[in-house]
Amino acid sequence: MTIPTKRPRLPPAALHRSDRPAVRRLPIAVMLAPAVIALVLLFGGGLAGAVRQSLHPTIDGAGPLDLSAWTAVLGDPTFADALWFSLRTALAATGLSAAAAVAIAVALRRQAALPRFLVALPVPVPHLLVATVAVAWLGPGGLAERALGALPIQLVRDRAGLGIVLVYLYKETPFLVLLLLASMGAELTRREEAAAVLGATGWQRLRWVVWPTIRAPLATGSLIVAAFVLGAFEVPMAVGPSYPPTLATYAAEQPQLDLVAGQAKAAAALLVAAAASIALAAAAVRLSRDRAPCLSVAGLALCLRPVGLSTVGAGA
Amino acid sequence: MISGEPAPAGLVCRDLVVAPGGRVVLRRLALQIPAGTRTVVVGPSGAGKTTLLRAIAGLERPLEGEIWLRGRRLDTVAAHRRRVAVVFQEPRLLPHLDVVDNVAFGLRAAGVPRPARRAQALALLDEVGLAGLAGRRVDGLSGGEQQRVALARALCVKPDLLLLDEPLASVDPNRREGLRHLLVELQQARALTTLLITHDQSEAAQLGERVALLLEGTIVQHDTPRALFERPASAAVARFFGTRNLLRGQVRGGRLPLDAGWIDAPGPDGEATLAIRPERVRLDPDGPLRLRVVAASYAGTHVRLDLHGHGLTLEAHVPPAAAPRVGELVGVTLPRADLWRLPDPGSQAAERDLAERSTAGPADVPAEPAPLP
Repeated sequence: MTIPTKRPRLPPAALHRSDRPAVRRLPIAVMLAPAVIALVLLFGGGLAGAVRQSLHPTIDGAGPLDLSAWTAVLGDPTFADALWFSLRTALAATGLSAAAAVAIAVALRRQAALPRFLVALPVPVPHLLVATVAVAWLGPGGLAERALGALPIQLVRDRAGLGIVLVYLYKETPFLVLLLLASMGAELTRREEAAAVLGATGWQRLRWVVWPTIRAPLATGSLIVAAFVLGAFEVPMAVGPSYPPTLATYAAEQPQLDLVAGQAKAAAALLVAAAASIALAAAAVRLSRDRAPCLSVAGLALCLRPVGLSTVGAGA
Repeated sequence: MISGEPAPAGLVCRDLVVAPGGRVVLRRLALQIPAGTRTVVVGPSGAGKTTLLRAIAGLERPLEGEIWLRGRRLDTVAAHRRRVAVVFQEPRLLPHLDVVDNVAFGLRAAGVPRPARRAQALALLDEVGLAGLAGRRVDGLSGGEQQRVALARALCVKPDLLLLDEPLASVDPNRREGLRHLLVELQQARALTTLLITHDQSEAAQLGERVALLLEGTIVQHDTPRALFERPASAAVARFFGTRNLLRGQVRGGRLPLDAGWIDAPGPDGEATLAIRPERVRLDPDGPLRLRVVAASYAGTHVRLDLHGHGLTLEAHVPPAAAPRVGELVGVTLPRADLWRLPDPGSQAAERDLAERSTAGPADVPAEPAPLP
């Protein structure tokens, strides 16, 4: 055996594999498998049940396939109004919450724990409680009207859904702020410093360092907010207008309006809401392509959640 | 405080006081680095090395003092306008960009068009041996590869000053020598004024044309690596660079009498502190000192001996084949030529000497840098 005496020149990077981590990355499909299996079992079942129910518009859900519930829902002008109203309030509440959250998180990121705690306070408060307080304060004859004489605009039960958007803005902004602050840790500060000494201005650092870091959690959080707003009915029932309804309130009313085909119509309406949520999830995934695989599973689970719950609720 | 006058080329720190988080870390620090040279600041943890680097880079605001670079005052300029690039201890790459875009980041900030900046980045990647990884995501690279990307990224903006904070710390020990050579090659090819930070004396000696020792927020000696190891300015410097053999006493007639014997001492008669490196202590049956081996530990290239007797304790490094057994009584010689007499801390000469050593000027820089091992 000969002992090499010449030290090799600086080896090319291709030969540096030995100092890589020993555990190589698993294929992405394998890593996602547990989440996908849970998603298919828990939420896929609910979806399949909703599809089945929408195609059997009878009291016991039996009988041949029948598209009459779909035809009735899709031809109902109230449903069209509800769909548009739901999308509009969901997008407005989500967009405003996201914008406010980014501004607050950027302002709070170097603050002490107390301001962060104060901002996070609304997170555990139930939506229905906030909506009820909003009615007590801002509704006709409420505390604000008594104190001020009259409010310049109607905020509760207004046709534009402003009250719904405001309640969600109050509730969801702190939730998104928490998500963003969690992603703005010491590592982001270190990367910003590295960018600064390379000549990046404050605005460039915000665009090229901070935004790519918060983009994924912001998209995930916004997706959660949008899916929740689309699927929830307690806030629209408390502060929303009597017309148009949201998709969730439309679905909740159907079994009372039609004892035979009401549940099938409710299932059809909620499946449309689910489709809208999935479309939003796809958009969110596209916005945060860097972490798309994680987002898609989390997003799908969250989008399908209101459908599953609401379907059960509607059928009960 | 000095101000207004034009500063010489290179980096100059004057009376720098920095207190990150309210705690004073740098205490009137003075440091002068000639343009185009490579200086290493070495010191123990908590001495203020990283604080110094951050202050120079503009990431920490000094309470007092001035920083000048190539005749331009830096401490009043924002970090992104200083033309000072930093390679941090951890690479701090942007995970959403591929390797070449990470390297080109500074050029992007400067408004260089995409094709031109990518071409420059690719050329630098070639120089650091990573041309084949240009399109890869950075989170798939090893620690050594990431640090080379960070180095290429820093060089890509053609800075006036390059700062490196423990650049080898996150690198596999087997890869350190390659990266060390690369750092030196790139610095020499560009004649780039470079300041490195490390806590490792050996790394400092191998990387620096000059080495500055930072203790408790102050540069206590700034000299050639060899001088710091062999001619320390104080007992603290001697101890930091591994010389724990310090002998104090009254020199009379060229000899320092000790309870264990006597040794020939350099310099005039009077109070003296003599230092000798452990590898220069000779075991000699006829030596004037008789000491007992109280501990021996194998250290790969040598055996470290702890010798004790008559109140004197010495550390000696001897070849493994010549190492005596523990408990053995050995004769010891401390060659006069290897003894270094520490400057008397109170004397004017010592203070003048220390001041010169802590702000080494351009004339002090050797024309030929010490070759790397």
